[in-house]
Amino acid sequence: MRRWIKFVGLAFTSLTGLACLIIVAMVAIILGDIAIHAWPRLSWEFIHGQPRAGMTEGGIFPAIFGTAALVLLMTLAVVPLGVAAAIYLHEYARQGSKLVHLVRLALHNLAGVPAIVFGLFGLGFFIEFVGAGIDRAFYGGALAFGQPCILWAALTLAVLTLPTVVVATEEALRAVPISYREVAYAAGATRWQVVQHVVLPQSVGGILTGTILAVSRGAGEVAPIMFTGAAYYLPYLPKKLNDQFMELGYHIYVLTTQSPDVEATKPILYATVFVLLVLTFALNFVAIILRSRIRRRLRAA
Amino acid sequence: MSTIVEVRNFSVWYGSHPALSDITLDVLEHEILGIIGPAGSGKTTFLRSLNRLNDLLPDFRVQGTIQFRGVEINRRDVDLAVLRRKLGMVFAVPVPLPGSIFENLMLGPRLNKTKADAGSLVEKTLKAAYLWDEVKDRLHQSAFALSGGQQQRLCLARTLMMEPDVLLLDEPCSGLDPISTAKIEEALVRLKRELTVILVTNNVMQASRVADRTAFFLQGRLIEYGATEQIFVNPREKQTHEYVSGRFG
Repeated sequence: MRRWIKFVGLAFTSLTGLACLIIVAMVAIILGDIAIHAWPRLSWEFIHGQPRAGMTEGGIFPAIFGTAALVLLMTLAVVPLGVAAAIYLHEYARQGSKLVHLVRLALHNLAGVPAIVFGLFGLGFFIEFVGAGIDRAFYGGALAFGQPCILWAALTLAVLTLPTVVVATEEALRAVPISYREVAYAAGATRWQVVQHVVLPQSVGGILTGTILAVSRGAGEVAPIMFTGAAYYLPYLPKKLNDQFMELGYHIYVLTTQSPDVEATKPILYATVFVLLVLTFALNFVAIILRSRIRRRLRAA
Repeated sequence: MSTIVEVRNFSVWYGSHPALSDITLDVLEHEILGIIGPAGSGKTTFLRSLNRLNDLLPDFRVQGTIQFRGVEINRRDVDLAVLRRKLGMVFAVPVPLPGSIFENLMLGPRLNKTKADAGSLVEKTLKAAYLWDEVKDRLHQSAFALSGGQQQRLCLARTLMMEPDVLLLDEPCSGLDPISTAKIEEALVRLKRELTVILVTNNVMQASRVADRTAFFLQGRLIEYGATEQIFVNPREKQTHEYVSGRFG
């Protein structure tokens, strides 16, 4: 009997350990496989060159540029909106009120919506409704904004990443000690002055963390942009808000599924995936460091 | 001496829990009014009612009147920013804000948009808080580098920068060493020439040292108040006698 109990214990230890091992192994295999195959193809020419010969040769600079421009536009849209919403929720709204419940419910649901639905939403709302409306009102019906372009793709991504920014900002606002607010109120500050002079300066780190997380999420999404602005191949870089653009994630999708010569694009595919991974990992890493700094300050206060 | 704060039948509830019951009390100009009583007696609630800081709490309710210089402070149209600058507050725990000593002092002037003329006040208020000699060479260093006692004197100076008429102190020396405590007490005694001080304290001896008059709170009620000497030597109520002689609390 005793030996049986010992055996069961050992078996469970091994099984749970194995589960952890599988996780680590999978990450290692993915990264290792990509790194090994990508390595020979990586070069400065690959980073800053144009795709050539039906994307079987050359570089991915337009996709890198497009990704950067896309997430920059997305950030410009999502940060003010998300920070404003978080400030309202945490500083102005009466806690426990119906409105706060409703907004939080909306945020949680927004965070759970599949990315492809955001893509369709962007197509239906931004392009067909807002964009076409702008064309009718300002361009006499000529096609300007009623088509897929970087602006609508960025706004679609902004909607997708909104919950990330709101939640991170709220966490940052919560980290500002109540005693700081009381000191400001006792010094005659209005609610807005407390936010402006005390709460926001103290929350910059947390807001930055949320922004970086949103950027790293946005940079990796394909589904929301495939109908709203990402292009298969473009010989030029986007210059206006209503230009289309190339993007790393979408480029990977294109290389994988649409290439005329799969074998020839394989090395480029690996290298592109590698670049995208390095980009998002780096962003996540910065976000983690910032966040742990804030947590430490929170504990100290 | 004339009355500066007049409290009449003032009661406070947190939700359904009564925190203060039927307080009637006058604060006289240029006095130090000590408020003593055990933990949970309503001292802090009373103090925070005077600058309406309790307004920040969600289920907070008051009844009765508090007049500051003849004006009811609980009216809806009272400008809280003005009220809170007239009745400046120092908290139990020193709360320097992130930033330099100078930036901390500029908090009130910055909020009040009187930054331009505030520079000349810095030296005066730091001297009044007995801190000038210790910080005059490092005004632009972080306030967090100061010791606890220095931080609390900085908080006192920061409040004085708003040139308040009444200074509300909520156990300002509770975590401080005897030397810092002595400096703050000395500062208060000097300051009463210019303003009125209401000093909530856990330390009965502190009230006996600096207060002109003393009020004794117990379980949300004002048991009695009067000249400090009378409260300590010849109290009317048995509970007061037991508390000041250290039998409970």
